Amino acid sequence: MESLKQLINKCEGLAFDLNYTRAKQWKSEGDGRVLVGYMPIYFPREIIHAMNGLAVGILGGGDKKQIIRGDAYYQSYICHMPRGIIELALDGHFDQFDGFLFPSICDVIRNLSGMFRVLRKGKFVKYMDFPQNFQKHIGGEFFKYELMDIVDKISKINKVKFSPEKLNEGIQLFNKNRALINAVYGLRKKSPWKISADEVYSIIRAGYVIPVEEHNEILKKAIELLGSMDGEPMDKIRVMIIGAFCEQPPLSLIKTIEQAGCYIIEDDFLLGSKWIQGDVEAGTSDPVGAIVDAYLNKSTFSSTVYDVDNPKEVRMIKLFNESKADGIIFAAPSFCDPALLDHPILQSSCHDNDIRYISFLFSENTGQFKVIKEQVGTFSDSIKLWEGETVNLK
Amino acid sequence: MNNSILTIGVDIGSSSIKMVLLESNSGTVILDKIHEKLRKRNPELVVNQLIEYVLDKHDLKYEDIAYLASTGEGESLKRKRGHFYSMTTHAKGGIFQNPGAKTVVDMGALFVRAIKVNELGKVMDYKMTGQCASGSGQFVENISRYLGLAVEEVGETSLRSTNPEMPSGICAVLAETDVINMVSRGVSTPDIIKGIHLSVAQKVIKLLTSLKAESPVALTGGMAMNKGMVQAVTELADKGNLGLKIITHPDAIYAGALGAAIWAAFRHKKLEAAMENQLKST
Repeated sequence: MESLKQLINKCEGLAFDLNYTRAKQWKSEGDGRVLVGYMPIYFPREIIHAMNGLAVGILGGGDKKQIIRGDAYYQSYICHMPRGIIELALDGHFDQFDGFLFPSICDVIRNLSGMFRVLRKGKFVKYMDFPQNFQKHIGGEFFKYELMDIVDKISKINKVKFSPEKLNEGIQLFNKNRALINAVYGLRKKSPWKISADEVYSIIRAGYVIPVEEHNEILKKAIELLGSMDGEPMDKIRVMIIGAFCEQPPLSLIKTIEQAGCYIIEDDFLLGSKWIQGDVEAGTSDPVGAIVDAYLNKSTFSSTVYDVDNPKEVRMIKLFNESKADGIIFAAPSFCDPALLDHPILQSSCHDNDIRYISFLFSENTGQFKVIKEQVGTFSDSIKLWEGETVNLK
Repeated sequence: MNNSILTIGVDIGSSSIKMVLLESNSGTVILDKIHEKLRKRNPELVVNQLIEYVLDKHDLKYEDIAYLASTGEGESLKRKRGHFYSMTTHAKGGIFQNPGAKTVVDMGALFVRAIKVNELGKVMDYKMTGQCASGSGQFVENISRYLGLAVEEVGETSLRSTNPEMPSGICAVLAETDVINMVSRGVSTPDIIKGIHLSVAQKVIKLLTSLKAESPVALTGGMAMNKGMVQAVTELADKGNLGLKIITHPDAIYAGALGAAIWAAFRHKKLEAAMENQLKST
């Protein structure tokens, strides 16, 4: 029987395979299959699934790809992730991909879509505006139109006809996927000593590059194995990490934070996999409409969403309380405007609610963690030793 | 009813491991203290040996220890319940050993850190040396090895100096070259060692000045066991009219481990109280 360690190693291998071997293998195993790469944060993968495709999450080269030509495409004041993605594109890592989707989260992603066009990558490149108007008859209609445009683009490639039944099947599979991911996070929140945050990260990230059916099996297995484990709780603080929703922190950074005295019990890493909070309605006659409704009404909070009616700071505090966290770590990638511009409002909310927090910047290829370790370690000590009443042991 | 709590603090440094066994009841009693040079061995292995040794010596079982806390480079130590940062533990251990101290200077093998503390041992501010080895105990140890001195002899040798000669450079590598030149020029070993001590002490004084340190200043860590080093810091503090009284403790090397053990007892009590409250509420 496969152990949890073996399962995690397998997931780490899949998650950080910059050749996307499993995705390419899946494509070669059947006729008319397409691979569509999508950039952070969220895209409804059900749509691609319904069109006999596999949506592959592209999260950059991280600390596993040396940037040689990528730097020439971006100014020094731009974040690191697009450099890695360009480098991967130039080195032919995406050569078997049929299309690329660039959700409208920032100017850098928009420019990246332009570069993919210039480089003639894939059979289509779409910079996709996600609605910021959450009214069904305005933003909803627009989003539906955009999703159907992608359906048309794929149909032109593989001649697959759109079928609501197939989409409903996909919705059910992805609902299961979201429920299983929530269950893994739930176990982690309840007993964070059983599995480390970096291990959970690898398990979730593997789902970005393999068929959902396979990921669901991995998640089920992980839950089963975690259920039979005991483990020894350690005296660490429980923290939430906010700000790493696009460019991903290196695995070693996640490990460092936990080694420095924290249990990461909530985070916005790989936010796309948790974007829809709950189920998309399955079995309707208008499944695209159901996906649109879920986006309009069940999206999580993020710096990339205009949310005047449901402010992110309020939702962050709610999540903090529900998670029984002790503090918040604002960890944003260097030069990530959406994340950094939100920090003042989020941190002000922490002040108002007496929530302790620290903040630091990282880059996907950060290799030196000494300063971050000191900062997180002293943050952990300050909460463990100085929160509330102190006793003098002398 | 015996309410005493046994805790262990383990300070994993870059060159040695220090361990303190503590009993906390109405007061705090150090039951045992031990330190061991790492000598390129696996720290986890050495710690386990030390734990077994201390437990055997006191006829204790591992389960009798309420909380084993690590500090220093001990984050990845498996056999621990919690980890505290060096600054936190040296601050607490420093004022425990030197009641009334308002500044604690942790003088370790790799760097020196000056910490302003309050009466409870809370870190109020700090300054530390960069990554340059010339402000570290390892540097002093290297020089003493070149001069054929045992580490234990360094302090006394330095005190015999009559005309100390300081290395010209601030870089450890250049300073080592300087020392070779001094030896060939016939400068005496006590004068070379004292010069090295003064060179490190200069860095300590710079940290204390920029921290706006308050007196008394307690020196902790391995280098604080070196009488020559303490003397050099005292001399420079007096010379600069800083108004700082430099103090230390014969067990200064254990300050980190001691602080970890004290905080371990504190955390244990806090966690027990939280658990009791939880049980009451359910």
